[in-house]
Amino acid sequence: MVFDYAPFLVEAGKIKEFARALQLRNPIYFDAEAAKSAGYPGIPAPPTFTTVIDFWNDHNFYQLFSNFLKLNPNNVLHGEQAYDYHKVIMAGDIISAQVTVKDQFHKKGKNFFLLETVYRNQQHETMAVGRATIIEMTEVIA
Amino acid sequence: MTELPAIIKNPIAPIDLVKYSGASGDFNEIHTVPAIAEEKGLSDIIAHGMFVMGWAAAAVEEWFPDRQLQSFGVRFQAVTHPGTVLVINGSMLTDNEGEIQIKDQQGQPKLMGTFVLKSGSI
Repeated sequence: MVFDYAPFLVEAGKIKEFARALQLRNPIYFDAEAAKSAGYPGIPAPPTFTTVIDFWNDHNFYQLFSNFLKLNPNNVLHGEQAYDYHKVIMAGDIISAQVTVKDQFHKKGKNFFLLETVYRNQQHETMAVGRATIIEMTEVIA
Repeated sequence: MTELPAIIKNPIAPIDLVKYSGASGDFNEIHTVPAIAEEKGLSDIIAHGMFVMGWAAAAVEEWFPDRQLQSFGVRFQAVTHPGTVLVINGSMLTDNEGEIQIKDQQGQPKLMGTFVLKSGSI
């Protein structure tokens, strides 16, 4: 079972907005010259920017949940998240992400989903691999 | 094992979560609308897990400005409400492998994780 996000253009302005929202101060996320001075070919995306690719997508996380996993996206919790970083995602990259359900099981009244997302650039190079544990709450949280 | 300097963040404000919702595209109203959070049995809105992980990644970057992550994994341990001051601690097990913990000022764990830095600088 795989779910394909739509190809996503990583825009410098979106990186800046995301970096500001996280109160990042490193100028590499805001200024191409600063990024080049630090050794990057352009403006890099912060490590957790993949979230933006998942949510601000023409074929997005909500569709993944509602149509593919048959979950209400408002009834889930994020239990764990891990990334392997192969290459740094840069402004201007077009990232295609594909989600695979690696496992799903029921434990202590909750449904667990282990999702693996592979992020590839326009040259089909693997940039990052995300592994998420998503927990469906069958009752209220608290 | 080498301890890394503790980082104390400013208290999380509701507007921080509004901004992060817009920037990330995660518009689950549990993060921004108190009435929705209360419907779910919570006392107030809660920070996005990925907002807290974003701060964790920023801490690693603050500790190692000239290095890149090779891998980074976290477990979210408890929800975080506005007003909370998060304290980030870390330690290095080897030159490249470290651990990170985020707690509130009362010591309640919010996030724990491990990271591996790429060898060499950017």
